[in-house]
Amino acid sequence: MKKLDRLGWAAGIGVRAFGVHTGVRVNAAGVLPRIFSLLPPGWKSSQRATVQRLYSLVVAGNSQRPGLRRMHMLYADSERIARDAELGEVLAALETDLHRYVAEASPDMTFLHAGVVGWQGRAILLPGRSLSGKTSLVREMLRLGATYYSDEFAVVDDSGKVHPFPRPLGIREDATYAQTKYSADKLGAKSGVKPLPVGAVVICKYRAGAWWKPRPLSPGQGALELMGSSIAVRVEPQHTLRRIHNLANRAVFVKGTRGEACESAAAILNLLSSDIRQEKA
Amino acid sequence: MKVREYPRARMDCLTREFGDELLVYDQQRNVGHCLNPTAAATWKLCDGKNGPPDLAKILTRQFSEPIDEPVVLLALEELSKARLLVGVEKPVRRTSRREAIRAIGIAGAIALPLVTSLVAPTPARAASCLANGKPCGSNVQCCSGKCGNGGHCGA
Repeated sequence: MKKLDRLGWAAGIGVRAFGVHTGVRVNAAGVLPRIFSLLPPGWKSSQRATVQRLYSLVVAGNSQRPGLRRMHMLYADSERIARDAELGEVLAALETDLHRYVAEASPDMTFLHAGVVGWQGRAILLPGRSLSGKTSLVREMLRLGATYYSDEFAVVDDSGKVHPFPRPLGIREDATYAQTKYSADKLGAKSGVKPLPVGAVVICKYRAGAWWKPRPLSPGQGALELMGSSIAVRVEPQHTLRRIHNLANRAVFVKGTRGEACESAAAILNLLSSDIRQEKA
Repeated sequence: MKVREYPRARMDCLTREFGDELLVYDQQRNVGHCLNPTAAATWKLCDGKNGPPDLAKILTRQFSEPIDEPVVLLALEELSKARLLVGVEKPVRRTSRREAIRAIGIAGAIALPLVTSLVAPTPARAASCLANGKPCGSNVQCCSGKCGNGGHCGA
């Protein structure tokens, strides 16, 4: 770390997000504006002298020496986490690691790996691993009028309500699984602002040609599934369990295999609508 | 399977009740368990003082339904497999689910004891990343942090 500290740092920023203090420093001040767009949604500038995690981005110079490949490097504290000739790749690594760290270290919130939309004053959670089709389903629900909350994390507070984490949707469009970013705005959808109580938790896997016929899960089984999507359950099991418990109070849990997003998205929204109607009746 | 003659529930786990179900988190092994109402009720009664016949009697009173020993033995087997009981001392005769169903009866109102378990993910596994062997464009996309092998995530 001391060796890193000795390098010349041109600019930096302290960041506070969801109760976590981090810092980013760069050796080329011109890169800093590009970093702002990668910070967690709702971040605020922090003046704290010490941070929980410090990122150091070393941007390679413009050497024209033949045969020499200039590499950009990213360190999290003293550990090198990315090294690439493409600055974009290193910045993507910064975004991924920073968001993951905030999700893991947040003292105030429990982060679940899930897509989230708002619908009729309730949140619909779509927990799932990578490539389970969360983003496609979220995108389709936005097309049907849902409000965007997140395609990556459900941020749950002590009362079990879900807060927005409206980072741009990462849509995988080709065989390399590289993501293209789209803001909810660009997709014609609104982003949520207020925390919402959870109305439904839908655990689904994509299989081409499958019919969406979900089976209900008991609250305990549903809570177990949510625990499996929690980022920090190993670190903070007590808080995680308490928040999941509060979240599960009024939620409907269903699980199933779905086909195309356009078919299942409407069915999921209807599921919540009819549940709300029943509750009102 | 072996369990204590007088089974005792582990006290070092975190628990939360969801109606009659119980979510149990084993901090030593980082495993979560969902105990259905029958398994949950049995586990709560495992205080090291009650043997299977006593448990059957108490559960019968609690559920207002006859619960025979095979059902209790099945519950203890499920709990023991999930490592939610303390110590391993006395071998217990294995009880098949069929035997337990027979004991409950077809019209039985209680469910067979069931423990569903799930290993808690590490932060990296829980967040978005690609598993080994998946096609990738850069290191950051892979859970392993290595995109090699002709554009596939590797160890």
